[in-house]
This record gives sequence, structure tokens and C-alpha cells, in this order.
Amino acid sequence: MKIRNEIREFVASQFLPDAPAATITDTMPLITSGIIDSIGMLGLVDFIESSYTIEFMPREIDVHKLDTVERIETLIRAKLSGRAEDQEQAALQ
Amino acid sequence: MPAPEGHLLHEWLRQSAAAHPHALAIVEEERTTSFAELLQQAEALAGLFCQLGIQPCDCIALALPKTSEAIVAVFAALLAGVLYVPIHPGWPQERVDAILEECGALLMIRGEGEALRILDLRTRQSLAWTAATEAVEPAMLPRIEPEDSAFILFTSGSTGRPKGVELSHRAVSAFVRWTAEEFKIGPGDRIACPSPLGFDLSTFDIFNMALCGATVVLVPDHIAWMPRFLVQFVREARISCWYSVPSILAGMVRDGRMAAHSYPHLRLILFAGEVFPAPALAALQAVVPNALCANLYGPTETNVVTWCRVPEGFDGQQPLPIGRPCPYAAVRIDESNGELLAGGDSLMRGYWNRPEETAGRMVTLDGIPYYRTGDRVVLAPEGDYLYLGRLDRQIKRRGFRIELGEIEAALLSHADILEAAVVAVANPRQSVCIAAFVRLSAPDTMTMTDIKTHCGRRLPTYMLPDRILFVDAIAKGGRGKTDYLALGKMLEGL
Repeated sequence: MKIRNEIREFVASQFLPDAPAATITDTMPLITSGIIDSIGMLGLVDFIESSYTIEFMPREIDVHKLDTVERIETLIRAKLSGRAEDQEQAALQ
Repeated sequence: MPAPEGHLLHEWLRQSAAAHPHALAIVEEERTTSFAELLQQAEALAGLFCQLGIQPCDCIALALPKTSEAIVAVFAALLAGVLYVPIHPGWPQERVDAILEECGALLMIRGEGEALRILDLRTRQSLAWTAATEAVEPAMLPRIEPEDSAFILFTSGSTGRPKGVELSHRAVSAFVRWTAEEFKIGPGDRIACPSPLGFDLSTFDIFNMALCGATVVLVPDHIAWMPRFLVQFVREARISCWYSVPSILAGMVRDGRMAAHSYPHLRLILFAGEVFPAPALAALQAVVPNALCANLYGPTETNVVTWCRVPEGFDGQQPLPIGRPCPYAAVRIDESNGELLAGGDSLMRGYWNRPEETAGRMVTLDGIPYYRTGDRVVLAPEGDYLYLGRLDRQIKRRGFRIELGEIEAALLSHADILEAAVVAVANPRQSVCIAAFVRLSAPDTMTMTDIKTHCGRRLPTYMLPDRILFVDAIAKGGRGKTDYLALGKMLEGL
């Protein structure tokens, strides 16, 4: 829940300044509904990359994968677990 | 090798395909299309249009991202004398329906890759289109003249309905031939233009490919939205010529770590569509000191009519002029209000099916027809035109042209919204913030999200308001007209 709440707080503060974070549900479309525009998407990616110390490559992220709080969490977890695997690999070598 | 002759855009492709059939016309990630393949596929599709009973001057809609297939479809339409109407796949259905109705398109091509379909809008039947479609005898195809229309580009309309700018082969040719000569574009060039097909900037790459035998390198969607990915793309795809709106270039310098690398292949950077913030432009030039950078100016109705080369060592202290007229353009100022009037060979034929609106925007002086641009300019003593601002409520956001009245019309189409007024203000990220003031039929009948969702069904995302402010009354000036100045001032205070 921690990641989801952090994303919710960020989206509410940046894109829905007059709405409480709790009104953003896990499955509410954020980009395809127009709440976040293309410049906003860059801000969202910046926030995710700096908060979780990850860096996305082309094809890893798109509108679909960033469209809901639920999918953003999945994206972050996949990237974090990938990084953990990379670190294990590096440790073994 | 001399450049192809004439002003017919598809004839350029025929001549280039004969001169260098195996050279690369299109690169789309790992896929490549040679000039010979492009011509063969386009002729086959043009034949299919003829078999489906599509006549010269009919319209077909291309609801396609800018892919190899989309470029095939563009040339197929031109070969068949059919006007193509680009429709951005991301536009909401209501806007697409309005455009299809406005232009009376008979076919719509949509889908991607293997799933490409041609939808016959007369019968609602859909058929598959593959590159393997059989070729057609060129003799079946009609004779086209340079004054014939080539395509229609839809732009924002202040009354709430998008309007179509109809452009002839000659109008497009004037601009493309000039760029080819001025910037010495040739077979070795790799041109990237991340603008969608419906954007007039997109005439540069597609038609310079056909005219000069250059290669179009398509910018995939999964790259185009992220400055960091775009910078990597320019480097790895060895792009030599680039044309985009300034927002994209400014983003590449600011957020894309562009300064961390060098770009030995990049020799030409053109930009148009909005003002390039001077400090950001100076930063770009510092990153690519050997590239020629130039500001091109012109509305969709005339394409580019003036241009200005960025001087070496541009320090960003002064705004860059929109420059001097292109050789094919006729440009003058209406002294009564400072409006730039633009005409010449690249002028549109008119707004599709809207003779009154066309007449309202055109003026003939000394026998020359001009389009009233709505842009206020001044002629500097050195002979350059300087852009001062707009005379109306049209704005540019990331190069997209937006009539604020169209956003108001979308808001007012909801029964619970009694009044709406939209203003635009600058925001710190060197873009524009669109704010909508809304008076509801009763308090709390709609949330901010409801309103954004409602607008999202009608407007492209670049037109959606960033801020929505619920008010009990909208400021009015004399004669009961909305006081937009007062609303703008209210925003500054928030």
C-alpha cells in the first residue's frame, strides 16, 4: 500500500490540487482520462525514478503502464525486482 | 542527379524510385522500405481506392500513427487524386466523428501493422489491407494538376468545431522545394520529424524524402514522448535533419541530458509552431554548435512564409525574430492593427466546405490574396519581422494551435455547466497553463474529475484544461461580455 499511497499523494498534489488523495482510486484512469497530460507524464516519471532510484528504458513505460495507481505500482515493483536480480547476478560474478 | 521536376508530390516519388530504387525511403526501427517498394505499395493501394469507386477529389481519412503504412497511404491517396485527411489515433471519438462528417470521407484506414483495415464509411464494411495487394496499371490512375488539392489538415475552430485547411500540391511543393534548396537536402540525409501526419510540419520529412531521395527515419511513439529517449534516438539513428516544435527541443536540452553527448551527424535543426524561449534556444545551440538552426514561421493556412537563421553564438538575451519572407511568399503588415498578412504560392485553397469562413479570413490587396494570420508583428529596421502576440484568443501549447472558444464549447455541451470561460497563462515550465472558470447549475453537481473526463471525450489531450475553478459568477465587462483580462488577473493572484 505504501507505493500506492505515495503515488496517490503525488498525483493529487500535482494534478488535482483541490481533491483529497483518497478520491484517487487504484483503477481510476489518470492519463487516458486527461487528468495527467504529456508534460505531466514526464513529471510523474521523474517522481517515480527519483523516489525509487530506478531508470526506465524505452518500451518499459507507456501511457497504458502509467494510467492507474495500480499499474504504476506493478511497474515500479517489476523494475525494483529486476534491479534486485541484477544485483544478485553482479554479486555472484 | 537532378532533383525531380514539377510540383506533383507523388511524381517526385515516381522519379526518385526510378533514379534510386533500392535506396532507403523509410526507416522504422528495424523495418526499412526502399523507394521502389514504397512506390509499388502506394500504387497498389491507389488501385484499390479506384476499385472501391473512390473518385478524384473524394476524401479518405487516415486514422494512423506515423508509420511506414501511413506514408504508403499518403502517396496512394496522392496517386489516386484523393484528398487525405489525417486523424490522430489518440483523438476522442466525438472529434473524429465531427471531422468525418465535416469532410465527408468515404473510407477510413485505421489500425497498425498486421491489423490494418480499410473501413468503407458508405457501407460500414471493413476489409484488410496488406502490402501484398496486387499492383495496378498506372494508366488507371487519374491525371492530377498542381492546383489540385492534396490533403486537408484539421485545426482547432473557435466555434467549437474543427475546421479543415485544404492545401494543393503547388502549395506544399513551394515550401518543400525551398527547404530542399536552402538547406541542401540530399540522398545522404536522414530526416526525423516527430510531428504527427496532421501537423503541417510533417510535410517536411515525407516530401523531402520523395523530392531529394533522402531517408525518413520515423520516431516511434514509445520514444517520442520522453526527452531522454529522443536524445538517444537522434544519436543512435544518426539523424542529420530535424524539424519539430520548440517544446520538444527545449525538453531534450532541459530534461533529456542532451548536453552529455555530441551529435556529429546532426547538421540541420528547424523549428516552428510556437515561440522558442530564447535562453532555451541558446542552450540548444551550445549543445550542437555545428548544426544550422533556423526558426520557421507560418500558420497551417500558408505553411512557412518567413524564416530566420539562428545567428552563431546566439546569447538568448533577445527573442529571435520570425525573420524574412521565403522566396515564394507574399508578406505584408495591415497597418491598421499590426496584423501580419501572408500569401503567395504556399497559401491554402480555403477552409473545406466553409466559403464564408474562408472569405472572412482572406483579403486581396493589389491583386494578391492574403490570409489574415491574427499574429501581431512589427518590421524591425534591419528588415526582420518580430512576433509580438495574437490579436485574438488563439494560443499555442507545445506547438498545437488551440482556440480557447473550442474548449468553452466543449465545457458548455454538459447540461450541468451553465457558464464557462477559458483563459491561458504562462507557467513556470515554459509552457502554457489553461484554466477553465466554470459555473455549475447547482453546487457540487460535478467534480473536477467529472469535468476533465467530460472534456476528454471531446477534445485532444493537449486542449484539456489544467485547472478548473468553480465560481458563482464569471467576471463580465461592458456590454456583458466575459472579462478575460480580469479572469487572467484572478489566476495570477491564486
